[in-house]
Amino acid sequence: MQTTNEYNRKRYRLGLWFVAPAVFVLLIVLAYPIFASLVLSFLRVRFAGQGLSFEFNGLNNYADLLRKDLFREALFRSVYYTVIEVVSVIVLALLVALMLNHPLGRSAFYRVVLLVPWALAPVANAVLWKWIYNANYGILNQALRGLGAIEENIIWLGKPWLALNMILVADIWKAVPFIALLILAGLQNIPSYLYKAARLDGANAWQQFVHITLPGIKTTFVISIVLQSIWALKVFDLIYVLTKGSPADSTVLLNYLSWRETFSNLDIGYGAAIANVLFALMLMLALVYIRALRPRQPQAQGG
Amino acid sequence: MPIIQRFLTRFFIRFGLITFMLLALGPVIWAVVTSLLPLSSLTSHPIDLNPANVTVENYILVFASSRGLVSGLINSLIIATFTSAVGLVIGSMAAYALARLNMPNSSRILMMILATQMFPGIVIVIPLFLVMSRTGLVDTHFGLIIVYLSFILPIVIWILKGFFESVPMELERAAAVDGASPFQTFRYIVLPISLPPLFATGVFAFIEAWNEFFFAIILTRIHVKTASIAIAEFSGQYQTLYGQMLASAVLASIPVVALAIIFRRFILEGFVEGAIKA
Repeated sequence: MQTTNEYNRKRYRLGLWFVAPAVFVLLIVLAYPIFASLVLSFLRVRFAGQGLSFEFNGLNNYADLLRKDLFREALFRSVYYTVIEVVSVIVLALLVALMLNHPLGRSAFYRVVLLVPWALAPVANAVLWKWIYNANYGILNQALRGLGAIEENIIWLGKPWLALNMILVADIWKAVPFIALLILAGLQNIPSYLYKAARLDGANAWQQFVHITLPGIKTTFVISIVLQSIWALKVFDLIYVLTKGSPADSTVLLNYLSWRETFSNLDIGYGAAIANVLFALMLMLALVYIRALRPRQPQAQGG
Repeated sequence: MPIIQRFLTRFFIRFGLITFMLLALGPVIWAVVTSLLPLSSLTSHPIDLNPANVTVENYILVFASSRGLVSGLINSLIIATFTSAVGLVIGSMAAYALARLNMPNSSRILMMILATQMFPGIVIVIPLFLVMSRTGLVDTHFGLIIVYLSFILPIVIWILKGFFESVPMELERAAAVDGASPFQTFRYIVLPISLPPLFATGVFAFIEAWNEFFFAIILTRIHVKTASIAIAEFSGQYQTLYGQMLASAVLASIPVVALAIIFRRFILEGFVEGAIKA
């Protein structure tokens, strides 16, 4: 038998050894790059012979952001995209979750159905929608023509706002399942005696929904909104496969713009500045997530 | 009236469930069906869905042609396997330390790890690309695996920490009373009973690494192109070979969709619930 003190010291020392590798890796692949990206955004980076040359550029990269129309448009479109995506995903996911929580929808089969779009490789998803939207042979045009809704084939990815909204549809389709699963888990955590008590008090279905269901999934809601906003701000794969930013740069969103400036136009400092704007937006959202998850004060157990 | 109301409610929910199923599975089924049809059927008006035309020629063509899908699948397999394996080893140790080894401020460390999930990839990939091109790590398996750990490690630590906390403290106390060192307790008591969640977490990490696209498009050139890259390039260069494009998308999705369905219980109970509980 060892003394408690000595044992605890051993545990502490082991703990340090155990966290060290993970901390080491995360410092290299997260902490350093985040710091370096901030520094880069104040530099002008040029290709000089074999290597790169760096020179201090002050706030010029950020001043460029304000000056360039494309950045402002991309920022506006990113916000539009995020808002529409979050609202649509949350509403649809809530509908799906409520149906799957109803006795008629409890079958495990429906949960398997939800997992399919979620697990699908994002690039495969993009290719799939590229085929559905295909102007000549796509099923969307054929179905709409068959129904008599349209007479001419529509070039879904060929018009500025239309293309962006079609990308949104493909993204929403893939995003609903996971959020629906989150909300479903939240619904199942609501104790059923609350509903029983409400029914005894004569509450109708709508009153139960407003006074028990919605408050019961409030935290889940906040988390879903934050996670989905972060994912919507990061959209890249769909743009890359479906439009590459066309037509006329109308589907260029912040993440895509930052990638293009950095890796196609090789304007590394400017690309980093855009990335940092995106980072700041997401950090604010992450703080909301952390607040929502913060353990609440333990409640006194009634007894 | 309650009977009619009940009938209507059930009718609407059935209707909603069928709509939901069609919307969720329709596009996937459509992709599978059209990947099994020859180009001539797909490009006729209207699409010729005659089952007599069903063929696996698209699959044979994407395997036979040198369009990088085969090497892409192999690269994805290597990278996803190593990322999840290394992530599990390093991540389980860190998770155990945070859950049980009295790390100072472990809840704050955990929040930081969780916040790292939310960094946009573009912020970290620009500096990493500069460093990696100078050190020759661009377009190597090792380079991509290390970068993938940036998003795999936090998830692994988060899920496993929750599991380790549910291991009864008495088990570990009993081991300590019997004279086991903390390391022996971890190695011989905690790890063996944690194999199912460890394995399931590994599967989850595998799916995430397999599906990753953004880092791969920046950090690979020729040798370690993943399946996702191969598909994206294919759809850019040969965009009129619809059948083959879809066949490669189906091929790249089968492993991850199958894993997700096989391990659905874990994904539903472990990960989904973990995301909403602190």
